[in-house]
Parts: sequence; structure tokens; C-alpha cells
Amino acid sequence: MKVSLAYPWAARWSRRVRRFTTGLCLSVVLLSCQFLLSHQSSSAAPQSYQDLEFPPLPELQLPDYQRLQLNNGLTVYLMEDHDLPLVDGTALIRTGSRFESAEQAGLASLTGSLLRSGGTEKESPAELNQFLEDRAASIETSLRKTAGRATFSTLSEDLEPVFQRFADVMRRPAFDPTQVDLALAQTRGSLARRNDDPGDIAGREFNKVIYGETSPYGRTVEPETVDKISRPDMVKLYRETFFPNRMILGIYGDFDATEMLALIQDNFGDWKPTTQALPALPEVNQAHMDEVFVVDQPQVNQSDVRLGHLGGLLSSEDYPALSVLNGVMNGFGGRLPNEIRSRQGLAYSVYAYWSPSYDYPGTFVAGAQTRTETTIPLIEGIREQIRVVQDAPISEDELKYAKESTLNSFVFNFQNPSQTLSRLMRYEYYGYPSDFIFQYQKAVEATTAADVQRVAQEYLKPEKLVTLVVGNVKAFETSLKTLNKDQPLRRIKL
Amino acid sequence: MNSTDARHFDSAPKRFLRLATSFSLCCILAWSSLGLLPAWADSGSERDVVNVSDSHAALEAIRPYVERLRSNVSEFTLENGAHFIVLERHDAPVVSFVTYADVGGVDEPEGQTGVAHYLEHLAFKGTETLGTKDYAAEKVLFRQLDRKFNQIKRIKALGKTDTLVRLESEFDDIKAEASKLVRRNELGQVIEREGGVGLNAATSADSTTYFYSLPANKLELWMYLESERFRDPVFREFYEEKDVILEERRMRFDNDPVSQLFEAMKNEAFQVHPYGQPLIGHVEDIRNVSRQDVQRFFNTHYGPDNLTFAIVGDVDTEQVRQYAQSYFGNYQRKASDRPVSIPPEPQQTAERSIELRAPAQPWYVEAYHIPGMGEADYITYSVLGDILSNGRTSRLYRNLVEQEQVALAAQGLTGYPGDKYPNLMVFYALVAPGRTLEETKTSLHNQLQQIAEQPPEVAELDRVKRQLKASVLRSLESNQGMGQVLTEYHAKTGDWQNLIRDLEAIARLTPADIQRVAKSALRPDNRTVARLLPDETAQSSVAP
Repeated sequence: MKVSLAYPWAARWSRRVRRFTTGLCLSVVLLSCQFLLSHQSSSAAPQSYQDLEFPPLPELQLPDYQRLQLNNGLTVYLMEDHDLPLVDGTALIRTGSRFESAEQAGLASLTGSLLRSGGTEKESPAELNQFLEDRAASIETSLRKTAGRATFSTLSEDLEPVFQRFADVMRRPAFDPTQVDLALAQTRGSLARRNDDPGDIAGREFNKVIYGETSPYGRTVEPETVDKISRPDMVKLYRETFFPNRMILGIYGDFDATEMLALIQDNFGDWKPTTQALPALPEVNQAHMDEVFVVDQPQVNQSDVRLGHLGGLLSSEDYPALSVLNGVMNGFGGRLPNEIRSRQGLAYSVYAYWSPSYDYPGTFVAGAQTRTETTIPLIEGIREQIRVVQDAPISEDELKYAKESTLNSFVFNFQNPSQTLSRLMRYEYYGYPSDFIFQYQKAVEATTAADVQRVAQEYLKPEKLVTLVVGNVKAFETSLKTLNKDQPLRRIKL
Repeated sequence: MNSTDARHFDSAPKRFLRLATSFSLCCILAWSSLGLLPAWADSGSERDVVNVSDSHAALEAIRPYVERLRSNVSEFTLENGAHFIVLERHDAPVVSFVTYADVGGVDEPEGQTGVAHYLEHLAFKGTETLGTKDYAAEKVLFRQLDRKFNQIKRIKALGKTDTLVRLESEFDDIKAEASKLVRRNELGQVIEREGGVGLNAATSADSTTYFYSLPANKLELWMYLESERFRDPVFREFYEEKDVILEERRMRFDNDPVSQLFEAMKNEAFQVHPYGQPLIGHVEDIRNVSRQDVQRFFNTHYGPDNLTFAIVGDVDTEQVRQYAQSYFGNYQRKASDRPVSIPPEPQQTAERSIELRAPAQPWYVEAYHIPGMGEADYITYSVLGDILSNGRTSRLYRNLVEQEQVALAAQGLTGYPGDKYPNLMVFYALVAPGRTLEETKTSLHNQLQQIAEQPPEVAELDRVKRQLKASVLRSLESNQGMGQVLTEYHAKTGDWQNLIRDLEAIARLTPADIQRVAKSALRPDNRTVARLLPDETAQSSVAP
């Protein structure tokens, strides 16, 4: 369970911890018992981890749940779990910032947070805050790129009044003008701070150079777009967006399903559906090919490097093989960490991922941070690894590692019943089959080294790679230009 | 479906920000750092408070769950001092492991800042049998490399460039030789291939923890690997890792003005106690530290009596006990030569302040010395922090952010940069556009002054107590989180059950207690102020 944050800038701070992706592994030649252990083993202790034998895991137990629909089209999932006196709910709403106009970039996100922070027709923002926080409960809402989301969390003894307010937030938001002004001011404030940590720049600008700066998948909120956003726009967006037949509601925890259903019926049953169809998804094209972009930060001593191009969908039949490829390239002992981090000491974190999305093309993205002087060797090192994995099949050991780490850790997708619930909701939202995760598992099992090489050749496109470097440009621009002699360096002004 | 993880080293300001954003609620850092708490919570205003159970009832309500925890936890200590805490949870066939080494940045010898973190990185490099193709050959090369490294250091000091170039080239050749003998990251690979997730480690000022989770049928794999790993680790790829750590330092520290601000602030606040030293290490110290230094640090601090292990999940306690005896039982005791004491920080007598200029927007930060986790009042300060800044109804949010709009965010928290020793209660505010840092400071001081002069309302305190109840319940859901909490409480207080003692103590707190600690700590002469100001001379990175 991730803590969701109410404010966009707060979310930025929390994301500052760099991520190192763990996945898989390199060839370990199987060793025989030639090793002498460095200690006196007691009789029970084996000589090597390879001598260990493990009992089978019990079969996966899928939790029981109900899926039903109210007459107004609201889809409901219910999953009881009485272990702890807690209830959590999530609603997914079919909308997203990708449908907002480029001139008003930020409208959806602001509407999403004001839905909650702006109070309801029944309670002012302060009253609502007070009510929830007195009970250690929470309601939060957001509108992201591909979905709207509302959540609540409460001790089960407070379920009824908290759930009523959850419904009020979704159905009777007040968009309190003072809170709207505050949110606009806060957004401007966070924009003024968005370049303070150079580490935040690369990720943001990378999406722009891949998808284009006006694409819903690449554009960013700017002071000019915030200036065009007002309270009536939020109310309008809300009215055009929130309907029961565009919503999937899932509730997990300590409740009685029959009573819960009655509560849902009471609070959402009389909500009128819409007959309007959703707009078509925006078109996606790669904005730049084979170009090198730089963002000058003369004060830094480390370059933040990204290379990438447009990617694909999670539903692709080649995704399982591509995820095995991810496993070969990344994680402890993946080719990139092994070669670029551990052997060459060029970076603390380095990765290359085929990173698909549910319903629009994702990206292939590689990256790392390295000291200014080693910017070029790092870029060349990553490109080299892409070439190598295309040119020669991976070894059987690498294949085994990549597959087994996915398959052996599969049980962690079922640690908590709520994982299954949120997966079912997500699959339904994006139109995926409910057993998608098991299809994926089977396809990973069936993946061969030849499959991995084929998808590496078919999906990774060195000629399309866009390079983005945030750093002290003066120090490496001459050599960076040699990476692509035909095109000038493209300088991004922040 | 790749698991992602923040890797290694949890730098102090990041940890602080994580806590600040994730929730400082229940006083007890360990609980709140689980990150499992609801998005917002907390309190404080005039509206009538309905049906909120009083503090005593708040604890009563969770008593069955606390009792269940108590009855599901078992502990045992091997003859060599290694302590094990087992929490059986059979909800899913998985198990989480935490190895807590009671050693952190505070334990570093002079001139070796960063060595605790360096060691944490090297603890992933394997053993005499794991991660190598030929340990005997490696050992010879390590000796040659270490000798060359020392020569290079001397020659550098003398400024003999020609000799230096030759030596460095020879050094690189031997390094390349040694590199060929490495089975790179074998430890991590084995764990991941067997289905391990969340493999990582973290170094803090107080402690170093190593953790991951496995499918429950692979308990013995952890026993094997973890016992080998800390019996006789081999610090291979020592010089390559130096470069990795320097990259980590650039990323987390050199190029992040906020990290620098917090580092400078604690360095000013602690003039004697090692909490003032940088956790990641001074560049020169990282460059100079030798393999022998790391080995010495290991020998001093990683004896079995200094390690606490937690095993949480679908295991059988008896089985764990047998494996633990057979795998860890034959460790040699070697933690006897730990330095006796760490010098205490003398009482501060006058306000201190530092200022940092950087191409960034202003931050205002101030810190006050408060007691460590062992003192009864520590939790009182945590609750004070929650009353001030936890949630949308908290005093700092309502006043500084909503009403006066002098800050984009304002938070207070305790336990910086650690809590094993007397530490800092920190308040920070991101100055709002168009407002000055001094205005923000004045508003913050008004709030602090108010709570020092007048006890908080009962309703405010009750709200925090109730939040605590919910957060305790939520943290019970996480195997990994419980492993961290149990080991930390054991190591820092001598008994994990002090966790329950703290919960009970919080339930008993009164508004007068809160005012008392506010009055005692929030004094100008106990304060260190840190200001981050936009650097007008450097290129401005302010958005258009």
C-alpha cells in the first residue's frame, strides 16, 4: 500500500528516492561441491546453496470475491477479510488527464484533488477534514493520465459515515473557491520549484522528447496553462466526467457483503448514468528520432542520462518475452548493473526497460547517472549492451535466471487478497481478461532464448533512440556531438 | 512485474522527507516508517468532536491485536549472542527476513566517514565460496591491489606525476585481472532466481539493515546465504564499488541542494556527537578508506552478539530454531572490542544558524535538541510533532499553508538524524512564492510559541492517539515492516515489547505533557536555523 499524497509537489518530494530495479540475473555456472566452506559445518548444514532442497509451495489460493452491477451501471467488487478491523475502498473512474486540452494542461489533475479538498455540499473542507481525521480515516481523490481514482480507508466501526462522505465527495463536490485559489497558488509554487533538484528534470523532459511536448503523454503543466484554469472549468469537467456507469468500485476488508451492498445502493443507487460515449484515445507517435537533447545545469558534477524510444502495450503477445529480456538486462546481476555498475563503476543505478502501458504505447527507456567526465562512455556502454543482446542469443543460464525469478516470485502477487482485488479492477478498467496474470505466467514459462533474441531485434530500435542528457553541457558537448554527426545538439530551455 | 526498490543507503534528508511525507504520526519512527498509513490524518480545531473514544479506549480497542502479536512472537538467543525474533503469520506462503546490525554512521572512526555504508554495499559481494571463480587467486590479487593503492596515495601526496601514471596503470591491470575471477552479484542472483523480492539494505546513523522476502518453502536458503554472508564476507570489487559510492554521493548529495542544507544543519547542531557527520561520508574519506579499514570495522561491529534477525511469515518457529542453531550456531564471537562510548553533545547555549545559496527556491529549517528513544519523553515529542504537523487539520498546515499562505508545505518531526541517541526535532517549510523566508519563520515561531504557552486541546491529542491506533493496525499487515520494527525495538531498547510499552505510554499522555516538552525544547538557545536561499549569481533554474 503506497501512501498517496494530497499535493502534487509533495508527491514530487517523495519520489526523490532513486529507484534501483531488481529483476534478474546472470549466468552462474552451476558449481559442484568442490567448494570448501570456510567454517566447520555442523552435520545438518549443506556445503552449498545448490545442495538445498525445498519442499513444494502450497497451491495458490485465490480469495473469494463478488462482482456485481447496480442498475445504473456502477460495477462493484466486494472482498471480505475480517482479520483486522479495517475497510479500504477504491473507485476507478473512466477519465484521465489525457482528455484535457493542451491549453489547460493541469485542469484534470487539479479537478481530481479539489474533488476532495474542496469539500462537499454538506460539509465545508474544514468540516470534512475534521470528521475524517478525528476518526483516523481518509478519503483521497486524483485524476491521472489514464484514470480517475478515489479511495477511502477507515476503521470498520466508522464505515457507514465515512462511506457516506465518500459518496458525497464523488457526487456532491463543492469546489470551495478558497481551496481552489489555494490549489492554484500551490501549483504555481511547485512549478517554481520543479527544477531545484536536477534529478527531477530528466524524467519530465524525457516524456516530452518521446511523445512530443503537446502530446497528452508528454506535455507538462506550465504557468501559462495554470493561468487558464478556473473553478468553473473544474465544475464543468467534473459534471462531464463522473457517472456511475463509468465507475468500478472495489471494497476490501472487515464488512458484511450484504450490508455493504445495501450501503452502496443507498449512497450510489439513485445516481443517474450517462449515455455519452468516452472520447477516442489520443493518437501516439514518436516525436523525435535519433536526436540528442541536452539540458544545461552548469552547477552539477553528474550527468543524468536517458535513452529511449516509443514502446508498446502490455497486451502484446510478445510482452512476456520482452519482460524476460528486462530480466536479463536489469536487477542484481542483470547485464547492465553487472557491466556498468559493478565492473566499470560508472553508475550507482543503471537500467534498460521495455516499459509498456495498458492502453497506449509505453516506452523503451534506458538510463543512469554518471560523473560528468564519463558521460560519453556511459552512453556508449548502454548502447553496446543493447547491440549485444540483439546480436547474440542469451545463454541458457541467463534465460533460466530471468524466467525463474519471475516464476518463483509469482506468489508475491498473492501475498494479500487486496492485491487480487486491485488487479481484477485494473484488468476490467483497461479491458484485459481477468486471468491476464496467469496467461503472462504461462507465456513466461514457454519463452526461449530464441524468443528473447527475436524480440530484442524486433522491438529495440537503436536507430530510433533519442538521447537526453541533463548536466554540465560545456564539459561534454564536443564529444556528445560525435554520437550523431548529422544532427546538431538540441538544447532544451527550462 | 519487476519489483523496484530504493537501493541501499537511505540518506538522512531523504529518510526525513520520506517520513515527513509518509507520516510522522505515531511518535514511534519505526511504526510510521512502514509507509502503510492512510494518506492524511490528524487534526485540530474548534468543531465539536463526536464520539471520539478517549485515549484509554483507543488502546483497549486494539488490545486483542496487540495480544495476538504478543502470542505469535517468539525469541531466542544463540550461545554466541545472535538474537532471533520469529513472528508466525500464515496468511500467505511467504516470509520476510531482516538482519539488523547495531552499527551505523555514529560508530565510524575518525577519518572514515561513510565506512558503515561502504560495508553495506560490500556485503553484497559474496564470500570465499560465493561470487568467485577462484578465491585463492583473488586473495593474492587483493593484496597486490591494496599495496598499489597505498603507494598511489603516498605518491599523490608527493606530487610525482610520472610515477603516478605508471602506478595507476599497473593498478588498473591488476584490477582487471581480479575482475575476471568474479562471479558478479552471485548472491543477489541466487536470491532473485529463487523468487526473492525486495532485496536491499539500508544504512542509517544508528543501524544497518539487510532485508528481503522469499517464498516460504525457501527458509533454509536464507539461513544458508545469510549465515555465510556475515560469517566471512569477502570485500571483492572493492575499488569498483568506491566509484559506485562516489556516484551515489553525487546523486544524493552533491547535486541536491536540500540534502546539502540538512547536512549542513545537522553538522552545525552536533559539534561533538557523530550525528553531525555525513552518513554517506566526506569525499576524501570515501576515497581513502582501505579494504583493511572496512575489514576492521566489520570485525569490530558485526559479531553475532551485535546482530538481530527477524523472520516474519509462514514459518514454523521450531524449525527456525533448529536451522538457526545449525547455520548460525558456529559463528565465532568477535564483537568484543566495540568502543565503549560515544561522546555526548554538550548542552547548546545560544542559537546557531547556517545559510546555503543554491539555484533553488527557499527553504526554512530549524532544529531543536531533544532526548533519544531511551528517554520516556521521546514519544511525547513525537506526539507534539504530530499535533503540529500531521494532516490537513494540523496547526502548521491550517495556519502556515491554508490561512497565512506563507508556506507550500510545513512539517515537524523527531528522530533526525537517528533516535538511538539524543537527536533533533526538525521543522521545515517551503517558502511560498511571493513570501519571504522571514515571514515564514515568524509564522512558524507563532505556532511553536503558542503550544509552549498553552496546552493543546484534548481533542487534538485524542485525534493523534486514534491515528496511532489505526497505524498500528495497518502496520500489522506487513511482514517486512514488522520485521523492521521488531528488530529495531529489540536493538535500541533491549526488548521488542517496549513497543507495546510505548503505545501504552502514549495512551496516557495529557495536554500538559505536550506543553511541558514544547516549553522545554522549543527555546531559541536550543535552536539551529538553516536557510536555503536562491543563488542569484548562479544560473537561475526558476521556472518561467
